[in-house]
Amino acid sequence: MTIIHNRPLDDIAETAPTIAGNAFTRAFSGGSLWRLIGMLVLILILGFLTIYPLAMLLYGSLHSTPPGMAGEFNLNGYRSIMTTQNLIVLANTVGISLAKTIPSLTIAVFLAWIVARTDTPFRGTLEVLITLPFFIPPILTAMAWGMLANPQVGVINMVWRWLTGGTDSLVNIYSYGGVIWHMCQYSIPFLFLFMVDAFRAMDPSLEESSRMCGASRWTTFRKITLLLMLPVLTSSFMLSFIKGIETFESALFFGLPAGIKVITTDIYESINHRATPDYQYATSLSFAIMGLMFLLVIWQWWMLRGKSFQTVTGKGFRPSVMELGPWRWVTFAFCVLFFFITVVLPIGQLMLGSFFRFFGFYTYDMLTLEHYRNVFANSEFWRAVRNTMVLGLLGATATMALGAVVAYISVRTRWRGRNLIDSMAWLPWMMPGMVLGVGFLWAFAMLPGPIPIYGTIWALLLAYIALGTPVSVRVMTGAYHQLSYDLEECSRVHGATWVQTMWRIMVALAWPAFAVGWVLTFFGIMRELSASILLYSVGSETLAVVLMKLWANGNAEQVSVIGLMMMLLVIVFRWVQLSFIKARISKL
Amino acid sequence: MTTNTSMSSFIQKTSAIQKWSRRFFMAAAGSLAISAAAGLPAFAQDAEWQKVVEAGKKEGKLILYTALVGQPSTKQIAAAFTKEYGIEVEILEARASEIRERVRVEQAAGRFAADVMFTSEGQTMLYDKEDKSVDPLPVTPNSQKIGDKFKLKVPMASVMTIPYGIMINTGLVKPADEPKSWKDIADPKWQGKILSDDPRAIGAGYLWFFSTYDKIGEDYVKKVATQKLVFTRDQRESQRRTARGEYSIYMPVIMTDFSDLKGLPVKFIIPEEGVPYVLYGNVMLKKAPHPNAAKLYLDFMQGPVVQKIYAGLGYGPVLPGMTDGLPADVKAISEAKLYGTTDTTRQNEMLAKSKDIFK
Repeated sequence: MTIIHNRPLDDIAETAPTIAGNAFTRAFSGGSLWRLIGMLVLILILGFLTIYPLAMLLYGSLHSTPPGMAGEFNLNGYRSIMTTQNLIVLANTVGISLAKTIPSLTIAVFLAWIVARTDTPFRGTLEVLITLPFFIPPILTAMAWGMLANPQVGVINMVWRWLTGGTDSLVNIYSYGGVIWHMCQYSIPFLFLFMVDAFRAMDPSLEESSRMCGASRWTTFRKITLLLMLPVLTSSFMLSFIKGIETFESALFFGLPAGIKVITTDIYESINHRATPDYQYATSLSFAIMGLMFLLVIWQWWMLRGKSFQTVTGKGFRPSVMELGPWRWVTFAFCVLFFFITVVLPIGQLMLGSFFRFFGFYTYDMLTLEHYRNVFANSEFWRAVRNTMVLGLLGATATMALGAVVAYISVRTRWRGRNLIDSMAWLPWMMPGMVLGVGFLWAFAMLPGPIPIYGTIWALLLAYIALGTPVSVRVMTGAYHQLSYDLEECSRVHGATWVQTMWRIMVALAWPAFAVGWVLTFFGIMRELSASILLYSVGSETLAVVLMKLWANGNAEQVSVIGLMMMLLVIVFRWVQLSFIKARISKL
Repeated sequence: MTTNTSMSSFIQKTSAIQKWSRRFFMAAAGSLAISAAAGLPAFAQDAEWQKVVEAGKKEGKLILYTALVGQPSTKQIAAAFTKEYGIEVEILEARASEIRERVRVEQAAGRFAADVMFTSEGQTMLYDKEDKSVDPLPVTPNSQKIGDKFKLKVPMASVMTIPYGIMINTGLVKPADEPKSWKDIADPKWQGKILSDDPRAIGAGYLWFFSTYDKIGEDYVKKVATQKLVFTRDQRESQRRTARGEYSIYMPVIMTDFSDLKGLPVKFIIPEEGVPYVLYGNVMLKKAPHPNAAKLYLDFMQGPVVQKIYAGLGYGPVLPGMTDGLPADVKAISEAKLYGTTDTTRQNEMLAKSKDIFK
């Protein structure tokens, strides 16, 4: 099996009639006026959500003072980042990000394959359980791992010493390994969620053909499964690698005590821990990183250009799974081990700790339900839950709708401007969250007075849509890459309107991906703090803001209670979602 | 006092203070009522202030921004203020640099949303000199009564000091070995056993660095730097880590947290030299939408009701005589000798020094 050139798409483009008209119409050639208007509206929306805040940040990087203050344009920000020290920190950051992305991607691919393509027992339950840590605020898992794996009195090291009778410690979380491990805790479930439906939507006949031609399971996996997954894999790699460059909590929590520096801790320090926040430095550094990241996106375009990865075609396919025989218990054991290490250990700590007065002090007289009582009786918490639910439901739906449209145009049409909207949708992912948050603050506060966005819940909603768009576009791009064009054509030939085709084919067949993207976006909104803290107004506190306040005041146990409740919500969401997917697949 | 029962433990701890505060409040309100009823001739100043009180009540609302995040006392004080004047308080909390940027950009865009900002002396200097986002301080009845050292050049109405000291794990440090002064931290026996807030970034560790560098000297700080300090930037989690036995000493610790950790094997030590501190207070933000309510709030925060609340939590009050009748442990912290604080004008120089010493 080789990757084939995308003939149908090229044919469409080559045979499309040239449209006469003005330069603007020609720029979006091949479309009606409505298409042109639609495209312009889309560019305007994305422009407002992504370009506008970034433009404010760019201004900040080129101006001696932030927007609204007298100053002068200069390149001091860019000059000040050109130091050997920063180059070393950059190399360090790239190294750490690669060191976490490669194993994360490998494990996530393996897990996705196990869950979606094999007959491993209990895979349905495992699918929900192994993703749980992703939905917990990073600070909580950091605290849990701090308790489990600190060299002095960490539980793992105590058990190790008890077993060996020695005094050495087995693991030290305050190290490079610790930073990378804590990042993996988030990237593996994220990547798994991102990829699992792509694995599920694959026509197994391709794999079967390969097996019938004499290829081994491993060769089939490598040459068919993985290769067909190339758009999803490259997207996953980039999302994860870029996020790795921008990750902050792990480095601050576990890296700082070990003297490990990354770019984001430097940016954080320049905003929060200098005599005066140096926004020019922070934004210049962020733009420099962004420039480097964009090279990666170009690399992905180049790699996927003109190739087809369609696996969902008009032919009916039987979404069968590979029968592993006795090996299914090995894959099962792998999942259980993964579940035990990444979920049971840290979440168990949080659960246990939530019933005691203090984390780590598990004596009978410390047992209490006080933390649960305090959380349930906290009116601010409930108000934040209401706000976050509204923002999450609206935000995730709007983000996914926008993402689906952008991905559709970018993958399934030859419209002019499709690359532009695709790259616009990437932008927010490439700017560290804490800097982008400042960008939104500047952008929304500086809008003319009559536009009532700043200081309202709309500011949060718009920021969340912008922040979620990269993931939503990537998720939907992966899904649309897999859908064959004949499905659409077939629908149109049979007299369906464009809207009906969209609904029946593009939405109905891509909706499992839509649902996963929705969950990712929803919980992204639930956890988002950098922009929220700068945009929330009195009465529109979000859960992340309440968690931050509780954490800042030393109420780690109450934060855990809320974290565990968030996790319960995930289990419910995922269970509902997976039940629907199963119901649909059985109908296909 | 408050509907927020997440504060229940806090309320229990401070119930004695609250009773006192309530008594004081009743007495004050009572005497005010009596004097009003008696129709005593008021001084011109009092009459002026009365106008502010009336205007503030008419405004009916106060928007408070605070950089002291997550403190239940903020809501408790707001509730007491509402009870006193019938003015509702809306509170927006965010960390110092975040809230400062919000105010700056809001004002630059012509949105004058907030009335009062509760922040530190150092931040006030930046609000005043760099952002020019604050108004001059009003003279209020209570502003005259606070201790002289808390009457500042910067336009901040001082409210309380946050004291910083040393915390030890009592399971790891024998009573005889307990450090008694900042100088004891430099003893080689603590090498590798000290968890420290990072002195290379603005925060508690830097506050310790600044005051001891100034008062004890560079040699001392350099000696501490050879102790293989482990750095952190999370105050509360670091206290817990020390309590769990990862380190013998955590410094500098927010002394007022002692009551939250009761029941854990830790001890909070007030160093012989005194406690480095951060002075907190209120600033009037420019073009405040409720200027009279803001003046009342500034005054209220310097009055005995609030001063007693803070003293009862271990913070240093700016109004003399507020610690009487407090439990001994709280009183000791609240009255601890103030050792030194940072100077915003020297921050770049001192941060560079700290980065150089603690590489």
